[in-house]
Amino acid sequence: MTKNKLYIIGAFVFLVLLIIPLFYESTFVLHMYTLIFFYTALTAAWNIPAFGGQLSLGHASFFGIGAYTAAILYVNYGVSPWIGIVAAAAAAMVGGLVLSLPLIRLRGPFFTLASIAFAEVLRMIAIDWRSLTNGSVGINIPFKPSLMNLTFQSGMPFYYISLALAVGVVYLTYRIRSSALGFHLRAAASDDEAAKALGVNTTLTHFIALMWSSGITGVLGLFYVFYIYVLEPQTFFSLDLFSLQPALNGIIGGMGTVWGPVIGAILMTPLGEFLRFYLGTIQQGLNFVVYGLVLVLTVRFIPGGIVSLLTPMIKRKKAKKTANLPKETEVA
Amino acid sequence: MALLEVKQLTKRFGGLVAVNQMNFEVAQGEIVGLIGPNGAGKTTVFNLISGILPATEGSIVLNNCELSRMPAHRRSLAGIGRTFQVVRPFEMTVLENVMVPALTRTKNTAKARKKAFQVLEMMGLDELAEAEPGNLTLAQRKRIEVARALATDPKLLLLDEVLAGLNPTEVAENLPLIRQVRDKGVTIIFIEHLMDAMMSVSERVLVMDQGSLISSGTPTEVTNDECVIKAYLGEEDPQC
Repeated sequence: MTKNKLYIIGAFVFLVLLIIPLFYESTFVLHMYTLIFFYTALTAAWNIPAFGGQLSLGHASFFGIGAYTAAILYVNYGVSPWIGIVAAAAAAMVGGLVLSLPLIRLRGPFFTLASIAFAEVLRMIAIDWRSLTNGSVGINIPFKPSLMNLTFQSGMPFYYISLALAVGVVYLTYRIRSSALGFHLRAAASDDEAAKALGVNTTLTHFIALMWSSGITGVLGLFYVFYIYVLEPQTFFSLDLFSLQPALNGIIGGMGTVWGPVIGAILMTPLGEFLRFYLGTIQQGLNFVVYGLVLVLTVRFIPGGIVSLLTPMIKRKKAKKTANLPKETEVA
Repeated sequence: MALLEVKQLTKRFGGLVAVNQMNFEVAQGEIVGLIGPNGAGKTTVFNLISGILPATEGSIVLNNCELSRMPAHRRSLAGIGRTFQVVRPFEMTVLENVMVPALTRTKNTAKARKKAFQVLEMMGLDELAEAEPGNLTLAQRKRIEVARALATDPKLLLLDEVLAGLNPTEVAENLPLIRQVRDKGVTIIFIEHLMDAMMSVSERVLVMDQGSLISSGTPTEVTNDECVIKAYLGEEDPQC
């Protein structure tokens, strides 16, 4: 019954989220929700390599590549962003490919460091390659509202688009985690050598995970640029906004779990906006101090993230149920 | 015809020769014991056969298939299964641990789950399917180790001290499993320090000392071999 109860709660939350925009006039509230949904999707995509224990601090690379690809195609060549989705995903996956060539044998902290460097290099390229990217001035998406142009008069369509993205990406990560790929990622994270001895091609496994993650992140970059209309290297290849933020959300919520990114994004996005608004005006950078503090405390006291506080409760109930029926069990 | 043929197998770590020009064959359906004093290179031989370490020289042929240049995961797919001396369960439930190798043979989770259950039943672990390995006894974790290797449907199973560290009752419980596995058609090489156990189960014994194969034969033959006695007890014998 627990499972059904969870489904009912989930369906209820989803329905509430569907009707929220009908009752709120405030664009700020809608914007806040939209950001939370974006970050949920972004963190969930970031989390796919994290199933295999690979911590990326360079996801801004894929986010930026996707955004630039779509924006350049749209502004310079008039290609609809809906078609641009394919190009954004493909370009970001090429980025993932480039990153994984040297990285495929670099594990743990070395992967993390190289991922940061990769994003920084791309930011430099975006600043310097003026003929293509218009340098640090960036690219403006012209305001021509239509569905084909993915440009809208109000914030409401993007509320639903980002909600759909969040639900879609989280569902996809759930499917990945309970598939052969997910099992192999978790095995590789736990003991790479033992996994290999059991027939798992751990290198290929990490690579496929990075491909999924980079492709999805590229598509999210596309939607985000059409949401905010302005594309500039400092924002889209930003270390703190799109590299550190999803990683923080993931670690605080629970890295390598399906629900960790959701919990992390829901808690940290409003906190981040709040801190930037209030503390950032008192003393620049003060918001990061609080952020750092939250991270340190989480890693020190709940290394498994917030989700690790919740799962024992659910598991205990499940264990009782499945004691007699082991074949009915599902992967959490 | 031999299932496994090892020729001139050598492993050097810098100046240290850990495995020196080993030659041996294992026939289909055999249970072969691999013994030797500490540091003789037994586990290194397993690492070379399973591909965890690359061999410096030599060939390893399983069913006419040359393995020595393959990465570890391909050797597993070719039919080599192994356990580790220090048990290395993944951080997931017992059932999921066994599903990992099953999922390298099929992409279908339901089939893998079924397969994993069959293996767990065979190993007497089916009631612990939902347990976390960290909460189990060493004997149980060693069984998980064997169950995982079996879920790859190996032709040749390398068991590295699956009885070490167990109490006599647990040894008596785990020992028959080795024969039971062989009766399913799996050929076995196993490393063991418990001589009683070794002698009662193995049909043939290979003895290693300082990286070289010094003797092979039935348990009785080997225990009467002067070279083996010397390797273990250090007795003088100019011929060895």
